[in-house]
Amino acid sequence: MDVILGLTTKDAVIVATSMAAVRGVSILKSDDDKTRVVAPHTLVAYTGEPGDTVQFAEYVQANIQLHGMRNETELSPPAITSFVRSELAKSLRSRKPYQVNILIAGYDTATEKPYLYWVDYLASSAQLPYAAHGYAAYYTLSLLDRWHKKDLSLDEGMKIMEMCVAELRTRLPIDFKGIQVKIIDRDGVRMV
Amino acid sequence: MYSEPYIDPASAHAAAAPIEHRFNPYSDNGGTILAIAGSDFAVLAGDTRHTTGYSINSRFQPKVHTLPCDPPILVSANGYSADGDTLVRRLGQRVQWYSYNHNKAISVAACARLIQTMLYGKRFFPYYVHTIVAGLDEEGRGAVYSFDPVGSYEREQCRAGGAAASLIMPFLDNQVNLKNQYDVQTGEPKTAVYLSLDDTIKLVKDAFSSATERHIHVGDHLEIKIITKEGVKVEYFPLKRD
Amino acid sequence: MDAIVARYSRTAGVEHDDLRGEEQYDCSAPSSLPLLSLPPISQPAAFLRAHTDDASNPDCKIKIAHGTTTLAFRFQGGIVVAVDSRATAGSWIASQTVKKVIEINPFLLGTMAGGAADCQFWETWLGIQCRLHELREKSRISVAAASKILSNLVYSYKGMGLSMGTMICGYTKLEGPAIYYVDSDGTRLKGDLFCVGSGQTFAYGVLDSAYKWDLSVEEALALGKRSILAATHRDAFSGGSVNLYHVKESGWTYYGNHNVGELFWKTKAEEQSFENVPTDFTVDA
Repeated sequence: MDVILGLTTKDAVIVATSMAAVRGVSILKSDDDKTRVVAPHTLVAYTGEPGDTVQFAEYVQANIQLHGMRNETELSPPAITSFVRSELAKSLRSRKPYQVNILIAGYDTATEKPYLYWVDYLASSAQLPYAAHGYAAYYTLSLLDRWHKKDLSLDEGMKIMEMCVAELRTRLPIDFKGIQVKIIDRDGVRMV
Repeated sequence: MYSEPYIDPASAHAAAAPIEHRFNPYSDNGGTILAIAGSDFAVLAGDTRHTTGYSINSRFQPKVHTLPCDPPILVSANGYSADGDTLVRRLGQRVQWYSYNHNKAISVAACARLIQTMLYGKRFFPYYVHTIVAGLDEEGRGAVYSFDPVGSYEREQCRAGGAAASLIMPFLDNQVNLKNQYDVQTGEPKTAVYLSLDDTIKLVKDAFSSATERHIHVGDHLEIKIITKEGVKVEYFPLKRD
Repeated sequence: MDAIVARYSRTAGVEHDDLRGEEQYDCSAPSSLPLLSLPPISQPAAFLRAHTDDASNPDCKIKIAHGTTTLAFRFQGGIVVAVDSRATAGSWIASQTVKKVIEINPFLLGTMAGGAADCQFWETWLGIQCRLHELREKSRISVAAASKILSNLVYSYKGMGLSMGTMICGYTKLEGPAIYYVDSDGTRLKGDLFCVGSGQTFAYGVLDSAYKWDLSVEEALALGKRSILAATHRDAFSGGSVNLYHVKESGWTYYGNHNVGELFWKTKAEEQSFENVPTDFTVDA
């Protein structure tokens, strides 16, 4: 089970994803990146059916980039989420729906606010201060309920993310080959 | 002479083993029960409708029983009535034996523990019943105990069981234990106080007439047994017959 | 041969093969194991599953209560035990006032997760066995031995459908504070910290993040309570109230019943936590 985690701070979003790519009983890759940068200030992290995940992420990435080029403007994270959600809703009602669960992390340069959205393959979406998909949610959400505060500094946010990762390392029964962390803020997306 | 009839080896094997049909010894006979404990009394009430599926078998089949002990104890086992009747009859016998063996009447607390052992004794072939017991404890206060089908139990102020438990229980939480009620002046949660016997009976009647309106397995008559230090009183009230 | 004779030489009058158990009792010798009756078919376990397991058969008739969060941990000052109080049957909340800590005797506590009746019945039975041990041996039973009696018992019923996940907690001179996890598939583990039930992961999250051996008694009780609160918040099958216990050399002490209704808002205000629960409802543009 993949780990997909995100939390907001005062002016950034921190996204953590596991680096193992597992198929059946084997780990095929231990430096997998389960994210795509869909706009200069917006990142999509995904988990779900192999194949569907990357296909869907790159499909929305391409369409958002096309929109950017045609209109010479960057879509805000809420607008991107709205688009992604509608694509999933359309897909859900098709013959072969994408089975992809995602987190959308972005920084709105206009309002200067960080955004985190939780979206599942059934096209439910919610804006949250912190979010997770899969089994990781069972361990980390109670931790985030306890320690996450409004208007955290980036350092404080990273501390909490480290607590979450430490908990997953002690309690998750499978080796997820480490965690990759990305920060999304006014300067765009960067790897830690 | 006649020739040996042909026997299919497969069916011969099957014939050798005992035939086992799908074993379903359970049924649901509807009805609902309700008990409330007061400061010096307890009531156990039940409707008298007996059903299987959508058919009404009887409009008057009482299911609230008084155990043969002094002071008396009220008991009802609601659900599958054959199991309920069996349980109550065996319990009555055990309660009598208790008085012969110990030369004293059984307490409600001991009776409750006895019911646990009887229900758990059939852990792998359960009695399909929700059991409620009402009586007076050793201090003379009203006592209600409720049980799941395999014997886990708890003492409570009030409990509804059977078909309309999910309709009545939330009403009881609000009206007996005053859940989600707040003092208008202070805004503090209200604390529950003992109800009077009159108020209790009014509440029981309202609960059953309302359940009758919304549940097809509830109706016909309401039987309320009231236990005080004077003994057991029984009251009947009509419910809708449709 | 003797074994066969013994099997068929009961004194009881009429005895049907399918009516063993509860109906049968004799007033003379108390046996250590109660007799449990079985349905008169070849696969009793499958029968029980078909009629009681709402996971494999959603419209089964007999609903058995499941779903819980319980925890216990060892620390410098003894053991803290904390549990929720909700009992569910499917999505119906059967009770919000269940006692999930079973007071086996003044030195031993057992927790309850899984089948309510299984835990309640066998842990009170365990209390009887512990008292018998005391009378025979003139000394209190160790936590290790008590938990082993229970684990051997449930193991003898393996595959029959018992469902329990329990922690036996106690303090003896010999062992100090000790916790044993015992479940119905026969597992028995000694450990410092356990969370059991459908809300276990949520409790582990908070507990692991703030657990230290050197916690004061007050801190430990607060952490136990807070961990159960976390689980009631995220696990729908857990809720009601928190029951708290502290076990030390002189036995256990009860630290009260804390209703989640009030505890949540109090905790949120004090900690500035539970950021996902809004208190003002202005919608973000």
